[in-house]
Amino acid sequence: MNVFPKLTILEWKLHLRNPLTVFFALAFPVLMLFLFGTMYGNEPNEFMSGFGSVDVLVPGYICMIAAVTGLMALPLVLAEYREQKILKRFMATPIQPQDILLSQLIVNTLTTLVGIFLLLASGRVIYNLKFFGNVLEALAAFILILMAVFAIGLFIGGVTPNGRTAIVVSYVVYFPMLFLSGATMPLEIMPQSIINISKALPLTYGVTLLKGIWLGERLLDFPLEIGALVLVTVLFGGLAIRLFRWE
Amino acid sequence: MEVIQVKNLSKNYGALQAVDRVSFAVPEGSVFGMLGPNGAGKTTTIECIIGLQKRSGGEVTVLGLDPAISRKELYGSIGVQLQETVYQDKAKVFELCQLFSSMYPDPLDYKLLLERFGLEAKTRTYLRNLSGGERQKVAIVLALIANPRLVVLDELTTGLDPQSRREMWAYIKELQAEGRTIFMTTHYMEEAAHLCDQVCIIDEGRIVALDTVDGVIENAGMDTMISFETQDEIGMVLEKLPGVNRVEQEHEQVRLYSQKEDVLTDLILLLREHAVEYRKINISRPGLEDAFLQLTGKEWKEKVS
Repeated sequence: MNVFPKLTILEWKLHLRNPLTVFFALAFPVLMLFLFGTMYGNEPNEFMSGFGSVDVLVPGYICMIAAVTGLMALPLVLAEYREQKILKRFMATPIQPQDILLSQLIVNTLTTLVGIFLLLASGRVIYNLKFFGNVLEALAAFILILMAVFAIGLFIGGVTPNGRTAIVVSYVVYFPMLFLSGATMPLEIMPQSIINISKALPLTYGVTLLKGIWLGERLLDFPLEIGALVLVTVLFGGLAIRLFRWE
Repeated sequence: MEVIQVKNLSKNYGALQAVDRVSFAVPEGSVFGMLGPNGAGKTTTIECIIGLQKRSGGEVTVLGLDPAISRKELYGSIGVQLQETVYQDKAKVFELCQLFSSMYPDPLDYKLLLERFGLEAKTRTYLRNLSGGERQKVAIVLALIANPRLVVLDELTTGLDPQSRREMWAYIKELQAEGRTIFMTTHYMEEAAHLCDQVCIIDEGRIVALDTVDGVIENAGMDTMISFETQDEIGMVLEKLPGVNRVEQEHEQVRLYSQKEDVLTDLILLLREHAVEYRKINISRPGLEDAFLQLTGKEWKEKVS
């Protein structure tokens, strides 16, 4: 009865059959890399505080991938499964509907990792991407970011009545974060008004944290960012647990 | 042996009493049908029986277990098809079958099941590309993989075309012949009449009739109507026939209402005795629809939900 691995493998297949997920998590970040890599290259420049443009942009793209899976793919599937009564159907089997939730978290983590791998590999091969920080600290930052976006995604997926509402809510949350958190365009080039807005977006703290560590700063240099991500995880994770509706 | 035993089952959502002191028992190997309009409490009853909802009161025993306590244990030996459930539409038929097979210790061979339901050509088809009838068959196949003693079908045939519906009826008969117990709800009176050993008519959360189909019709106390055409004026004579409750005559059309089985013989003898010429004699027995109308005061509508 190796049902959980079977469930997870099936859910991953289904996940990859969603062209939107595949494009935004796997292809889009690489395309962004090509676009800005072609425009600016990766030579150290003064505008980027002496770093190469690609080196500065890639940590933001990593956050973007986490946001795609956590804020778009995850809530959409959960809301759809509830709407179509799939969660309820699985309640009437020997497996737990929580298993579906868990398999969704695993699947979205896997896709995130694959997306990051593609991004880093192309960055390395084409633009000689460099990493200046501590790998373990970067990993810790990544886990904090992933937990925060998944908590928001679980919350959206847990309370929206159907797939369509979930898409609308995800887009409303996702797109501002995509453009205004520094994930795609550095906040340094933004006017003060946008920077003020960005402070209200959870992903901003993730981007700042991961970018900082990537470029050589230490994890403990970012107590505010870590605090914000933990707060978001606890807040939305707690709300999701309390308010999640199976049907 | 009773596969399902329900005593005074109640379920309320706040002030709304969805199910009100419902009691019935389903013997092993029988087909039990629950009928009622939308919102009557059918699905709520099913969900309390299989433990998907907590009951507010009463006792429920399914295969000797209390579904409120031994939910997961129960799911090893029951197969369910829930109303309006669609499975993951990007999944292929065999992928879901394999997943369900891995959930049970001793599953039936899904390939044989697919063959039996005429789905062998659809094994590698995405669920979203199946017709409504094919989807419902997949739902049954998935319910049967557990090799269940009890099969629970919530509005299996709602929305299917008449041909697919009849096909489903044949399958349900087959499941019964294999010794499985079927608990089903339906919108279609003819379906209940065709399949069910016992029916339970439920309205606004309460049982209004619980009997065999014939028993329900009989106990509703409705008349059989015999009609024919004649040019003679014989209404007065017919009213004197024993067991006749009412006679109507409009021009040539005569209608006679009675609950007596052999009133037809008496009628024919009487007509012959009076040398009455008659034609187009027609008997219409009351059906489940009429019984429903009589019992609930509501018109039966085949609503597709």
